[in-house]
Amino acid sequence: MDWNQLWQILSAADNVPIIAMIPLLAFYIYLAWKQAHANDKLIDELAANPALAKTHHRKTWPFKPGWQKEVHVWPFLLRVEFLAAIIVTIILMVWSITLNAPLEEPANPNLTMNPAKAPWYFLGLQEMLVYFDPWIAGVVMPTLIIIGLMVIPYIDTNPLGGGYYTWKQRKFAIGTFLFGFVILWVSMIFIGTFIRGPGWQWFWPGQTWDHNRLIYEVNRDLPDLFGITSNLWKGIFGAIVVGGYFAVGGLLVNSLFRRTNPKDYKRMSLLQYSIMMTFFLIMVALPIKMLIRLLFHIKYVWITPWFNV
Amino acid sequence: MPEKPIPENDPIVTKSLAPHYAICMVILMVTLFWALWDEDFGQRPWKAFQHEWKSRYSSFLKGARTQSKESQDEIEKSADYQKLKQDYEAASQSATPRIKEINEKLRGLGADILAVQNVFTDRRAYVNASTYDIETTSSASSKKSKQQDLDEYKAKPSTVEMPDGKKRTFKNFDELEETYNELKNERTQLSAELGELLKPVTEKKELMDSYLSDHMVNLTAGQLLNLQNGVESLTPAVRQINVNEHAANLEREDAAQIVDRCESCHLGIREPVKITAAAMSLKGKKPDEYARAFTSHPEPDLLKVHDPEKFGCSPCHQGNGRATTSVEKAHGNYEHWIWPIFTAQNYEAGCQICHSADMVLITNDVGWVVSEGKDLFRQRGCVGCHRYEGYDKEPEDLLSIGQEIKLLDQRKKDNLKQAGDFMAQADKAQSNEEANHLNERAVALKVENSKVDLRIMQLDRTTKSLFQDMKKVGPNLKDVRLKLNKNWIPVWLKKPTDFRPTTKMPNFRLNDDQIKSISAYIWQSGLPDSLPKHKPGNAAHGKELFETRGCLACHSIGEGNQMQGGTFAANLTRVGEKANYDYLVRWVHNARERTRPYCPYEKKDIGPEDYKKKGLPFVFDLDRSKCPNDGHELQVQNMTVMPSLRLSESDAEDVASYLITLKKKNPSEYSDASFMDDPKLKEEGKKWVRFFGCFGCHEISGLEDEGRIGTELTTEGSKPVERLDFALLTEVAERGGREPIKDPEDLARLPEGPAKEPWYDHKGFFEHKLAEPNIWDQGKIKPPTEQLRMPNLHLTKEQVRALTTFLLGSQEFPLPPSYQYRPLDYRKDIQEGWWVVKKYNCMGCHQLIPGQKTILMGMARYQDAQEQLPPKLLTEGARVDPEWMLRFLKNPSLNDKDTNRNGIRSYLQVRMPTFSFSENELGKLVRFFQALSRQPFPYIPEEVPILTAKETEMARSLFSSTAAPCLKCHATGDPAHDRIATAPNFLQARGRLKPDWMEQWMLDPQAISPGTSMPSGLFKRQNNHWVFSGPTPPSFQGYDKDHTRLLVDYILQLTPEEQRRVSASMGRSSAASGSKPSGASSSGQGGHGAGK
Repeated sequence: MDWNQLWQILSAADNVPIIAMIPLLAFYIYLAWKQAHANDKLIDELAANPALAKTHHRKTWPFKPGWQKEVHVWPFLLRVEFLAAIIVTIILMVWSITLNAPLEEPANPNLTMNPAKAPWYFLGLQEMLVYFDPWIAGVVMPTLIIIGLMVIPYIDTNPLGGGYYTWKQRKFAIGTFLFGFVILWVSMIFIGTFIRGPGWQWFWPGQTWDHNRLIYEVNRDLPDLFGITSNLWKGIFGAIVVGGYFAVGGLLVNSLFRRTNPKDYKRMSLLQYSIMMTFFLIMVALPIKMLIRLLFHIKYVWITPWFNV
Repeated sequence: MPEKPIPENDPIVTKSLAPHYAICMVILMVTLFWALWDEDFGQRPWKAFQHEWKSRYSSFLKGARTQSKESQDEIEKSADYQKLKQDYEAASQSATPRIKEINEKLRGLGADILAVQNVFTDRRAYVNASTYDIETTSSASSKKSKQQDLDEYKAKPSTVEMPDGKKRTFKNFDELEETYNELKNERTQLSAELGELLKPVTEKKELMDSYLSDHMVNLTAGQLLNLQNGVESLTPAVRQINVNEHAANLEREDAAQIVDRCESCHLGIREPVKITAAAMSLKGKKPDEYARAFTSHPEPDLLKVHDPEKFGCSPCHQGNGRATTSVEKAHGNYEHWIWPIFTAQNYEAGCQICHSADMVLITNDVGWVVSEGKDLFRQRGCVGCHRYEGYDKEPEDLLSIGQEIKLLDQRKKDNLKQAGDFMAQADKAQSNEEANHLNERAVALKVENSKVDLRIMQLDRTTKSLFQDMKKVGPNLKDVRLKLNKNWIPVWLKKPTDFRPTTKMPNFRLNDDQIKSISAYIWQSGLPDSLPKHKPGNAAHGKELFETRGCLACHSIGEGNQMQGGTFAANLTRVGEKANYDYLVRWVHNARERTRPYCPYEKKDIGPEDYKKKGLPFVFDLDRSKCPNDGHELQVQNMTVMPSLRLSESDAEDVASYLITLKKKNPSEYSDASFMDDPKLKEEGKKWVRFFGCFGCHEISGLEDEGRIGTELTTEGSKPVERLDFALLTEVAERGGREPIKDPEDLARLPEGPAKEPWYDHKGFFEHKLAEPNIWDQGKIKPPTEQLRMPNLHLTKEQVRALTTFLLGSQEFPLPPSYQYRPLDYRKDIQEGWWVVKKYNCMGCHQLIPGQKTILMGMARYQDAQEQLPPKLLTEGARVDPEWMLRFLKNPSLNDKDTNRNGIRSYLQVRMPTFSFSENELGKLVRFFQALSRQPFPYIPEEVPILTAKETEMARSLFSSTAAPCLKCHATGDPAHDRIATAPNFLQARGRLKPDWMEQWMLDPQAISPGTSMPSGLFKRQNNHWVFSGPTPPSFQGYDKDHTRLLVDYILQLTPEEQRRVSASMGRSSAASGSKPSGASSSGQGGHGAGK
């Protein structure tokens, strides 16, 4: 165990946001869960007691009969937000005083740094480059992420759960978020920060980042495993596999979704449903691709002259 | 979830956030002030330095003032100073009454002017404003009325209350103006007069002050006071130097753009007083960070040459000159700066950055670490494997010239053929016109060919020069069969230092198979010729010759503490075990003599058979260096720097006989190595010879044209550290703490001992690599052909330090080209000359820099016989005619037939050898000596006036004066006398010495050559002339020219008959038995000529 190496990574000024993000993320998930849990209890109570529901619509815990049904944004929300703004200002000031920007040496075009890492918030994207070709990982996927985020309000037909924490009323939405952000995005940033060393090789935490390290690793394309040599057949084969994934995955998710969220399913139009399904499947495809790459050393599934997946 | 009691009132509505806000605001304000403090001090640590500087330096100056006050008092008491002071006082006294008067008047005037001015300016302002109003009024009538108003205003009287209380009334504005101007004129006149009066007084005062400052080591009290005032009024500010020649144009590519803020903390660097860390420490405490930062620059003289305003700090020292936030950052000692500051041990690396063309950094100074590094780089044969700009250019030049000659030859052939074609066509041409045209073209081609021929001749000449200049560090291995004891070779290859601890040959870590095959290849590729047999000589005489002829200036004898002699060439203690007698004779007689000449075009050694084919005798030397086969230049010399000492054949036999006795065991005791004749080993051996790059230092058959095997080192110091392969030791180097070198011998080579701190930098890399060259193979699994090849050069600590310094400074040039020291005037000659001087180890015998020790000086033999040392060459350029020097360097015996002698100083046993310099190097050397003495070049000798009979008579009387009998010490050509002579013959002064120098020499020989036994004080200054100190005959009455000049002219016209006459008249007895003048005899410095 190379504690020195670990400490060097942990103490790097570049990595402060990530180190801070991990406990903060855990804390806020815990906080959200705690409130959601209380609210869910309250919702059950209100559902069971229509009389109470009439006098209490705040749906947030704690509650007491006779309290105002609604409160104004000003001052009750803004005063808290302003306080938060002050605290964030303090944190940023202290941070900027104590840690100078980790600027590096004058650039030398003949010698690039190794590992060359993107800023922490882009490390997820950089990690994606390992699994897809640059066109997919650098252009298509980020675009899809942004469009997917933009599309959410239009495909979200669930009228419940606005303005308060809840789990029971929005299981699918919250579950998808936790999967897409915490599991996929944050863990990719984590991998990019702690795991990827010189040569973008996989170093477990506490392993020395040896620049001379050599590993034996051969990545193959999926068509090669099946002995397909012609480019045309490779393309066709890949299209079939990817298409198969979408077909089988779609059916699978469809049956699950209908069973677990029948109300949402009913409320959604075909367009909304298919858009949701497409984005969902693409999102799930990312960890699947990561796993077959890391575990089975499969580089690409679908090879065409224009893009590789 | 635990159920908390629910409050009565809605917390969102009723809860007050005031305390939260209060606390947050307090913290925010604290943060704000922290930020302000950080902005002003936290990020500006240099401010603390400047505050400390202020207090420490001013208290230092206070202490210093009292010290220098005393010395000032002392000086003030001196007569000279008192005289100046009296002058000053007299001047000031005579001027005082008038000054007083004027000053009083001025005071009165000033008050008057002030009083008038108050009223006048007020009125003038009104007048000016009104005038403007009139000027801009458009209607004529209102103009007129306004003019009237103004005139009225001007006409009004005004009253001024004068300083003495009286009131003075002026009739109108004009009168007021006039008075005001008059008063001012008067004041101007008086001030001018005062200035005139004060001028002599201030001049005297300045004289006094400059006398003080000239006569004080330290500064005057006044200057110190000024410094102190300066320090006390210091306000914190970044002190910045902008290194930029083209300040106006930052876009230029050659702009330096270096910004150094070093002096923001290092405030004492340029102070005119010497500031030590101890002086800057707080009382009773050790020097702290501040004290060490405040010292003045240790080499103020260097700063004078390299004005910090022009050069800044970081071009020499490196580091991050812009950084001001911490010491580490400013010094560049952090991972994000690629040019960390040079450490105290290697700070001279900075010199190399600009002075890469200088072999000797400073012509008047010795002991520069980086110069030693540069020297070692050549001497130890680093250049054999590593290319370095400026070193050992000859092979590359030869290659390109060879190619050019080939091209030209081809062109010649083509031209000839084409010319023939043209002429053939012309014969068949239809018209006369066409025939003429074709013939003309053929003629043009022939003319072109003759031009090509001349060019080839020129190139051949250059080739000849280059062949002469090209040297190899190691001996010619083509001669192994003639030279070596066969059985000795494998033993030597095993570990050269075991046989000869001080050898230049490094240890290659060869295994037994490699040793066998390499020695087999070397042996089998050696020339098969035989040498003429020599009879054994007289070893005792040989020993004497060896010790007295100057061999020991380069070679050494004896091991360990017993060693004496120079380290430039091999230690000969065991030479008898390895060498053949006949070869030694040839080598001692003339080391440059080759067995066979080498032809670079045919790539082979030309033998007698080649000569025979052409019907030529097998004779080759520098004059007969054309190849019998292709007519181009041959390499006719051994590529060694070893010169010929012009020993006679029998002397050479004697020396060789002595050398062959130097051994610890008999050659026959070496175990048999007949495997070297196994032809199967030859190919294997060639592979290894090629692998280890043996041809870098040795001439080896079949591998003459091989390139260097190592990496180029010209810009090694600016390679990014990531490009230096620490291999498996990267982590160890980065973290420090464990020294990977285990071998105690190699460990001792590390200049600063085993590493304790992290050493992942250039310095660490170079030092470890030089200490143990294969260190980066540690822990690696590699086949033998991939292992690191660099041999262990068995360097000492100091040598590793010197080479590291040199390599650290070997950088890509970061500044504008004009910062590089590449002068074009005489300094270029000096630069180039040093390369030659160092190449041939001239400084082993001659002193060229005051204070430089030669090898011979240190030897016991010369301790009591200083006059037997070779001459010092401190002012050689001023002394001799360059033409003569050229002749002398070509052939130091100055004689075509009898060469077994010294041309000038025949009384010296040590011999000036014949180096067979090329034209190129001869030119460089002559120019070097002229430039070193700042002589104009070319030199045009002055005409020596022909003396009248009377003058000759007078000069003769000086020449033979009993007070200074010149011929007592100087050689005369009379063998009986010359045995005891200790100075050169006068007869060779003509054409050799420069008259001006001769005069200087006679006046003060000690100043030119300290320690010479040429007597001083022969002449004295009288009525602005140099007059002989001894008694002069009456004929000198009324002679008003310099006696020195007379004597010089006489000597320059001296004829052998005249000399003989004088010497005879002086009497043999006094000349022969005369004791040496004033104790020591002449050091052989006062060259006035050379005898036969």
